[in-house]
Amino acid sequence: MHPAVGPAWLVWLETSALAVAMRQWTWLYPSVEIVHILGFVVLVGAAVMFDLRLLGLSPSLPVSGLERHLLRAARASTALVVPSGILMFAAHATEMADNPAFRLKLAFLAAALLNAALFHRAPFRTVASWNLYRPAPRAARAAAVVSLILWVAVITCGRLLAYL
Amino acid sequence: MRSPATLVVGSLLALLLAAAPAAMGHHGWSGYDSSTTLELTGVIKASGYEHPHGYVNLEVPGKTWLVVLAPPSRMERRGLPKDLLKAGTTATVMGYPNRADPNEMRAERITIEGKTVELR
Repeated sequence: MHPAVGPAWLVWLETSALAVAMRQWTWLYPSVEIVHILGFVVLVGAAVMFDLRLLGLSPSLPVSGLERHLLRAARASTALVVPSGILMFAAHATEMADNPAFRLKLAFLAAALLNAALFHRAPFRTVASWNLYRPAPRAARAAAVVSLILWVAVITCGRLLAYL
Repeated sequence: MRSPATLVVGSLLALLLAAAPAAMGHHGWSGYDSSTTLELTGVIKASGYEHPHGYVNLEVPGKTWLVVLAPPSRMERRGLPKDLLKAGTTATVMGYPNRADPNEMRAERITIEGKTVELR
């Protein structure tokens, strides 16, 4: 369909045995898609649940405990999301690299990870003083709003990959 | 902040609305002009039984069309195995032209050796 034309490493990836198998084995592609969905359900689900807590929902649940529980799930989910994502990328590497939704998705993904890292470096350090029944500091609530927007943007771009 | 939830919901809605018009591409059916029906009979020059959609390069007098079919799993289930699409086979397709690419069409159904398979 889309000719395998582009930078050499993308052409190599797209013509690799694994990429050919992704395109031609009847049930491999949908299986990998299912793994990717399972992974990001956990990843984005964990992020959204934590963000809602930061925004004031369920103030009786300790923020630090939720963070441990949900972040562990989010970290584990990358073992599903990343390899499955790479396989799907490989199957149509040159086309994906040209797809504006794909580039935007990677940018939003990087921004979401950066936002999470900044949250842990700054507002989260004082969590002991707002762990229960106290509103999170403004910086933490801002990080939560940004996180919600970015993860929705990542999913939106991921789905639009197929339509652009 | 009285209601961060309002801000969040508002932002998400704005984002989705901004993204919606972009959902017009060559992949979904919306990328094809269903007000123009094409019926082409020709010879398959090459084919791909591939994800996300199979295809045939169909040679008709004066032109070779890229005809986009369905996912291979669906074609298999509906009785259109890979070997029916081999080069040299005569096929008739009914479908719609791509809005952007004058050489591409998406097939609603395909008829090979008297057998018609629905692809949508």
